[in-house]
Amino acid sequence: MTPHPPRLAVSLLAWRLSPEWHDFVLGDLEEEFCVRAASSAPAARRWFWRQAIRCVAAPPPASAPHHHRPGRDPFMRTLLSDVRHALRVFIRTPSYAVAVAAVLALGIGANTAIFSIVNAVLLRPLPFEDPDTLVRLFHVPPQSTFPGMATFSLSPANFLDWQRDSQSFDGMAAYNFRQLTLTGNGAAEAVRAAAVGPDFFKVLRTPPALGRTFLPEEFSARAKVLVLSEGFWRSHLGAAPDAVGRTLTFDGEGYTVVGVMPRRFSLNAWGATTVPMWTPLAWTDKQAAVRENHNYQAIARLKPGVDLARAKTELAVISKRLEQAYPAENAGWGGTAIPLQELIVGDVRRSLMMLLGAVALVLLIACANVGNLILARAMNRRKEIAIRAALGAGRRRVFQHLLVESLVLAAAGGAAGLLLARLAIGAGASLLADQIPRAEEATIDGRVLLFVIAASILTGFLAGAVPALRAGRTDLNDTLKEGGRSDAAGAGSLTRRALIVAEVALSLMLLMGAGVMLRSLHALRNVDTGFNPRNVLKLDLNATDARYPTPTQKKVFYDTVMDRLRALPGVQAAGWADTLPVTGGGSVQPMVIEGRAELNPREQPTVSVRVTSDEYVKTMQIPLLRGRDFRRGDGDAFLVSAAAAKLLWGDIDPIGRRATLPLISRTQAVEVVGVVGDVKEQLSEQAPPTIYYHMHELPFGDVSIAMRTAGDPAQLAHAAVAAIQAMDAQLPVQNVDSMEDVIEETLVSERFRALLLEVFALAALTLASVGIYSVLSYLVRGRRREIGIRTALGARTSDVLRMVLLEGLKPALSGIVLGAAGALLAAGLLEKLVFGVKASDPLTLAIVALALLLVSVAASLLPAWRASKLDPLTVLRDS
Amino acid sequence: MWFKSKAAALGDFEQLVLLGVLRLADDAYGAAIRQEIHARSGRDVSINAVYTTLDRLEAKGLLRSWAGEPTAQRGGRRRKFYALNPSGTAALRQAYHAMQAMADGLEERLNPK
Repeated sequence: MTPHPPRLAVSLLAWRLSPEWHDFVLGDLEEEFCVRAASSAPAARRWFWRQAIRCVAAPPPASAPHHHRPGRDPFMRTLLSDVRHALRVFIRTPSYAVAVAAVLALGIGANTAIFSIVNAVLLRPLPFEDPDTLVRLFHVPPQSTFPGMATFSLSPANFLDWQRDSQSFDGMAAYNFRQLTLTGNGAAEAVRAAAVGPDFFKVLRTPPALGRTFLPEEFSARAKVLVLSEGFWRSHLGAAPDAVGRTLTFDGEGYTVVGVMPRRFSLNAWGATTVPMWTPLAWTDKQAAVRENHNYQAIARLKPGVDLARAKTELAVISKRLEQAYPAENAGWGGTAIPLQELIVGDVRRSLMMLLGAVALVLLIACANVGNLILARAMNRRKEIAIRAALGAGRRRVFQHLLVESLVLAAAGGAAGLLLARLAIGAGASLLADQIPRAEEATIDGRVLLFVIAASILTGFLAGAVPALRAGRTDLNDTLKEGGRSDAAGAGSLTRRALIVAEVALSLMLLMGAGVMLRSLHALRNVDTGFNPRNVLKLDLNATDARYPTPTQKKVFYDTVMDRLRALPGVQAAGWADTLPVTGGGSVQPMVIEGRAELNPREQPTVSVRVTSDEYVKTMQIPLLRGRDFRRGDGDAFLVSAAAAKLLWGDIDPIGRRATLPLISRTQAVEVVGVVGDVKEQLSEQAPPTIYYHMHELPFGDVSIAMRTAGDPAQLAHAAVAAIQAMDAQLPVQNVDSMEDVIEETLVSERFRALLLEVFALAALTLASVGIYSVLSYLVRGRRREIGIRTALGARTSDVLRMVLLEGLKPALSGIVLGAAGALLAAGLLEKLVFGVKASDPLTLAIVALALLLVSVAASLLPAWRASKLDPLTVLRDS
Repeated sequence: MWFKSKAAALGDFEQLVLLGVLRLADDAYGAAIRQEIHARSGRDVSINAVYTTLDRLEAKGLLRSWAGEPTAQRGGRRRKFYALNPSGTAALRQAYHAMQAMADGLEERLNPK
């Protein structure tokens, strides 16, 4: 059989060669291949490949008709020759090329990293079918009694009415969360599960990876069945393919695994899908009739063709009807729908857009710097450019030539920036995963690649256009006439000053942003929360129904736990609460003073209700204003916060008075024994009116325990956990942490924002100072003669120093003024992101401006000093 | 311009290609020229370089070209043949003479025993 040339090489050639060369080149190659193959087929193949690669790299030119060839410059051909020329120039002067590419790589890399997060968080659709039609449903609580709250959980009866009466939705499912304790597998492990209504998986339209989801009958019979997440299936069942049908023991009861959801279903940013497992939500008739207690979330899918506004209107109309039908429970309670995507992204959008804007400013500054460098080079090469022009290169041609150089540099910078971004994402994504929804999904995908390419091209144009225009405008005659003097100061110096002004102005805006963020963070850290978080250790514990079935047993258990913990050396006080401050969540309930009629929900005041033990107030060092703290022997008793006392009793002393919490019991009036200070639930918000409730027995099992320690709370963690486990090893102890760390954790996104802005501002400051320095050095070099003559004529060192310093400070000052104006204009965008300080804070602006001025002086000093040390003799002799 | 009447100056590789065309006479097509250059000068050039140069020389008017008949040996593809124009011969002659004149009397040093 005769050997054939490598088929892939032939197709490559066929693809690359223009039709007019196709036959000739391929024919020639095949002909010679046959001759060569006669002696050695492999050698012939290697030869064919070498020829093919060289042909593909530089095929014979497709001919425009020959007489057109010389003279005119087809764009592509001159472009390629410009690229080649640029590469040659850069290989000759690598330090310049590397410096420029490095600056651009940092700029583009930072932009790419931030964009990839924006891409993952804001642009990539949620991993469900038709994600745009998924909405979550909420109550809108009466503003008179729930000031500032826009949404609220649902009550079962209202949810069922919504489900029955609405036409806008293609399925609707309620869900809430429960804590299960996995036993029989060594140490007890607390597992969070979502109890989901019948339509939950149908609404999300995600089929299980293994087995099935829940059957209709499993929602009525309280069947002990589970659907697992991919993560739990992997970590606890070793990803066993036969996991379906196995039984897991939770709280002493067997649960059968009926299905496993695919990995993509576990969307980290939404509680209902983050959980390791799902159970059926089955309401008893009694539970389903509850209307006034709001403890459930809901997800729904809009019907095709129904828009959000219509669905909202419909929920509002149904809610109105329910208000009229059940005024005692529903007066003032509206309904609304919010797209799932919006809830997940929420506040992050503003934050990310701000960061993207900030990092874009850094890139702009980098562009200005690089533009300066390119201009400096173009000026040094004015001779070369003038000669090109003299030989017939038009302005457009010169412009193109210089622009191509900067584009080549930007392309190199973009490629390096992509690598940097990859590294940054690798390091940063996991750190951010908890703070920014879906940040862990940040990767380099097609969209990010497109972004890099676009950013590189734009950067190349931005950095190159001004110098290229400027150089193209250079007057031919002047340049050639200047003869040996290639350092005329005037050339391009206006452009350079303008670039300095821009750099300084942009830097000031970034510095201002960073300054305001830092002050905001500082303000948040120093918020008076109303309790003292120093030296407090906290942990979560759940006395489950399985181990402590009755309220009395639970109460006794926790009393004993407290005794043991208080006995530990180093513990000064210990108490527990159902929810600790600043950790989010907690119950808000209406409260009725004894002797007064219960009003409808629109008028009945609400308070935050915290069920606590004795000594809790002492442990947290919440000031006791009047009356006394709870005692161990107390039955049911209240402590009220100052705000709650004012809200409910006005100026009357509440101590000794009684009130009821209708959601807990309408009949049991509880006595107020003391008044305590207000405590913030969230750092950036007002302290809500709060009731602390001491119960004689405990209807629920999960509490957070706090201990005030003599020294570092971390030292006590081990002993505290050991003391609890010595009592009951079956109970999982969770989230052991110091209260200070708990607060710091709530600041993570503020910290992240401030940190990134600091980094960007620092980069901007460095770039700007380098820019000022290099421009001044260049200007001084250009005015050597002038300075020499001045010195020879008697100018003192200080005169020269002052002259050069002013030369640098003038554009810097203009930049500061412009930047201040820009910062004040941009302040509106930041206002919602800062706390305790205005985004246009004049003090911060003054400090930042002063800092920038000092940096400008510092950057100008060295060139100025050099100028003042010029020896007039040498200078004048040289020229 | 002053030197318009003179023959075009030729690059080194252009000279090799033109000499190849001259030497191969009626059989001057890409692969043959490539092999001729390889065999005689030892330079293993690529086919695209040969055709690019031929194309350029043709554009300068030093060569003319025509397509031959398809042959089975090359998968039914045609060859592209080249021949020198008078101006091509003149340019080659001038380059040759220049070389000869410059090398005159140096033969011994250029051909060491």
